Amino acid sequence: MASVQPAMPKSWYLPSKPHKFCPGCGHGIVLKALGEVIDELDIQNRVVFGCDIGCSLLSWNFFAVDSTQTHHGRTTPVMVGMKRANPDLICVGYMGDGGGYSIGSQHVLNSAVRNEKVTLILVNNTNYAMTGGQLAPTTLPGQITETTPYGRDVAKTGYPTRGPEMLAAITTDGAYIARGTVAKFRQMKNFIKRAVQNQMEGNGFSFVECLSTCPTNWRTNARQTWDFLEDEMEAYFKVGELKSPFGKGEK
Amino acid sequence: MVEKPITGTKKAFMTGNEVVAWAALAAKADIMFGYPITPQNEIMHYWTRLAPKFNREFLQTEDEISAGFTVCGAVQAGKKAFTATAGPGNVLMQEPFGMAEGMRLPTVAIIQQRGGPSSGTVVYSQQEVTLTTYGGNGEGHRIVYSTSTHQELFDYVIKAFNTAWKYRFPTFVLGDGYQAKMREPLEIYDPEEKGIELVPAKPLVGLPGSIGDEREPAHLCNIYSLEEELYEVVLKLAQAYEAVAPEIVEWDEKMCDDAEIIVVSHGVVSRAAYDAVGILRDEGIKVGYFRPITLRPFPEKQLREAIKRSGAKKMLIAESSYGQLMRLVRQEIYGETIEIHGLLMPGLGIVDSDIVAKAKSLL
Amino acid sequence: MYFVYKNYNASVLGILGGVSSSNIIMERVVEAYVGEYASGKSEVAINRALELKEQSWEVTLVDLDTVEPFYTLRPLKALLEKKGITVVGWEAKETFGLGETGGLIKPAVRWVLKRSGCIIMDIGYGVHGAHTLNLVEGAYDDPHLKVLAVVNVARPMTATVGDIIDYVKHLGRVDGLVSNNHLGNDTTVEFVEQGHRVVLEAAESLGIPVVCAAVDERLREEVAKIDFAGVPVRYIKRYMPGAIW
Repeated sequence: MASVQPAMPKSWYLPSKPHKFCPGCGHGIVLKALGEVIDELDIQNRVVFGCDIGCSLLSWNFFAVDSTQTHHGRTTPVMVGMKRANPDLICVGYMGDGGGYSIGSQHVLNSAVRNEKVTLILVNNTNYAMTGGQLAPTTLPGQITETTPYGRDVAKTGYPTRGPEMLAAITTDGAYIARGTVAKFRQMKNFIKRAVQNQMEGNGFSFVECLSTCPTNWRTNARQTWDFLEDEMEAYFKVGELKSPFGKGEK
Repeated sequence: MVEKPITGTKKAFMTGNEVVAWAALAAKADIMFGYPITPQNEIMHYWTRLAPKFNREFLQTEDEISAGFTVCGAVQAGKKAFTATAGPGNVLMQEPFGMAEGMRLPTVAIIQQRGGPSSGTVVYSQQEVTLTTYGGNGEGHRIVYSTSTHQELFDYVIKAFNTAWKYRFPTFVLGDGYQAKMREPLEIYDPEEKGIELVPAKPLVGLPGSIGDEREPAHLCNIYSLEEELYEVVLKLAQAYEAVAPEIVEWDEKMCDDAEIIVVSHGVVSRAAYDAVGILRDEGIKVGYFRPITLRPFPEKQLREAIKRSGAKKMLIAESSYGQLMRLVRQEIYGETIEIHGLLMPGLGIVDSDIVAKAKSLL
Repeated sequence: MYFVYKNYNASVLGILGGVSSSNIIMERVVEAYVGEYASGKSEVAINRALELKEQSWEVTLVDLDTVEPFYTLRPLKALLEKKGITVVGWEAKETFGLGETGGLIKPAVRWVLKRSGCIIMDIGYGVHGAHTLNLVEGAYDDPHLKVLAVVNVARPMTATVGDIIDYVKHLGRVDGLVSNNHLGNDTTVEFVEQGHRVVLEAAESLGIPVVCAAVDERLREEVAKIDFAGVPVRYIKRYMPGAIW
């Protein structure tokens, strides 16, 4: 059946559009990928979408799926609790670098070790954007933020967190771990689709980090924004599948 | 020799969070631990800009639990450490503050109240009174100052360090989102030049002297084996606290001598209360003003005294919460027969006309 | 297409760019107010927008405060729009009782220089200084753009000549200073005068002009005796206290 791809995913919630993300923000791109995945897998009625505090908070009424807003860093345990209570739900947790690698890190780590059958999507834009651009676990060395006004000093604050690498190391078979980038939409969407399918098949813990843009807090114009994402961020945060029960994925 | 952040006294125009950072510098705080949460982020923004110039340290921790415990660690090492937080961050910090209570650690924390419960709003409230005065699983052996102006934020942050290190109870400066972001003039100064002695910090670990020959090792704990042991510990804490409470307690009262209604408020709301009392008095209505500055220890004797002296039959409690100050007052003045009424506006700013209207409705 | 539009716009503006009350055709005003936190950027920007509106210009005021937008222009948006100024920025209630105030830029901000008339940008504080202008398409190429740093010596970070010079240097491009020295309700004439001298000295050292001195209009009579050294005075009506609470 030949059909025209709708411009807006059916699983998007129309009354909350146009959305409120900043111009140039990568969140809209990630959420579009997720929306298309929900449509293609036809799971709109089974998905529960959880969001964190931070810019991910703006996604709380983004989808026409049942959604719940949690506390900062606590999206993961809320999704875990939901899934354990009702395994028929497809629990998708959405968070930022703080919600997943800082205040939420113990939850992500433990859920991974326990192989919780939830899907977590973490948007990495190297700063705490919503609160004004403070240091994040993923801030790059030398990067200027409101709490590293002289640049991130790795001697004092360590190196940026490589989440998927850590999670791949501590998970066993059945887990799905990947890192995508909004610069490579089809690949990122494919990773997200596999992360959701992994949960649907009951295999285990599924996690996708998405490299994303924040021109507002980076104070970059369009060209500078993409340079930072494609050159600097990708140099440090390698894109690809780190672990997959589906066999080798596309690069 | 590193220069002082402030020399002499000077007039400045600042925002509340900024005042906190400068006051901590002036009080010779050594290190700040913190985690981003609105509305106190500028305390970190200013501290991170200024600290390196004065050889002070900073760490943005992974969350508020860590920020609280790192402060506990730093004070045990004998350094003046502080943190700042709000709302859900304050909830998380109750675990470390509990440890500070149990171990008598001189922690200093600035709380900029925001709407609750849960994520509430980032803006303002007075809904963290219960949490800050009696949070955690202890008996509330803590010192809490509730400020209302930027001058007080400056004065009391400096005082908080002195109070904490002198009396060794976790000490708090309870502000709010409005105070944090408002701008007003104040005088900033070097406390020592003004004759305010800064209480020195003392380590509990890493003490000088060789273990065995010159000293015993320090063994610090907050857990006990038997109920009887804990009972003794808590009683001792209570006695120590009650012994110094009269020195620490602070309050302000005006026009209570012949008042028929006493308006009780704290923090930024007391500014509106003071204006309201003035307006009502101008209209010939006999209203008095009472403001606890320390919420812990609460000026209970002084409030009872004001009630007795005035013979007031009614009390009006104005607060931006659903009764947290009221609960505290009721508990403290139990037995008084004065009628207690509330202007309870959780998360909402209160202006003088609100209080005037409510007071008039009680006549 | 873009270039044709831009040239068309420029030539149209040259003819229709707005008319002052004395019927002289002038070029439009594009100003970005930068500076220390709470230095008075928003207050100066709002007053400037209103001043230009009085001169019959079409005026757009832009909220580019990325660190604490909820506390600046937003609450005043409705009030300013009633006075005929277009405000590009979110209103608090539009952005969903968002737990967090945030770096939310309204998409229209990106293209704001495409609009006709005067554009006044209120650039919030932040460690990146004037680089926030990167977020406005074509800002640095705009021939009319003036980046003005608002300075108040009552702010501890910009209290001395040396402080101001260091601060302005780290901001990036700054074309002029606005001397906005005050202590809120405690402002005295002496303070305004002394502060102005400090700003003048810093400006000279930096090689940029002091574009104007901003003074609370309630002090109009009292400051008449001050010698502002040829710097024009803008009398400011305070709107910002209405922004909080």
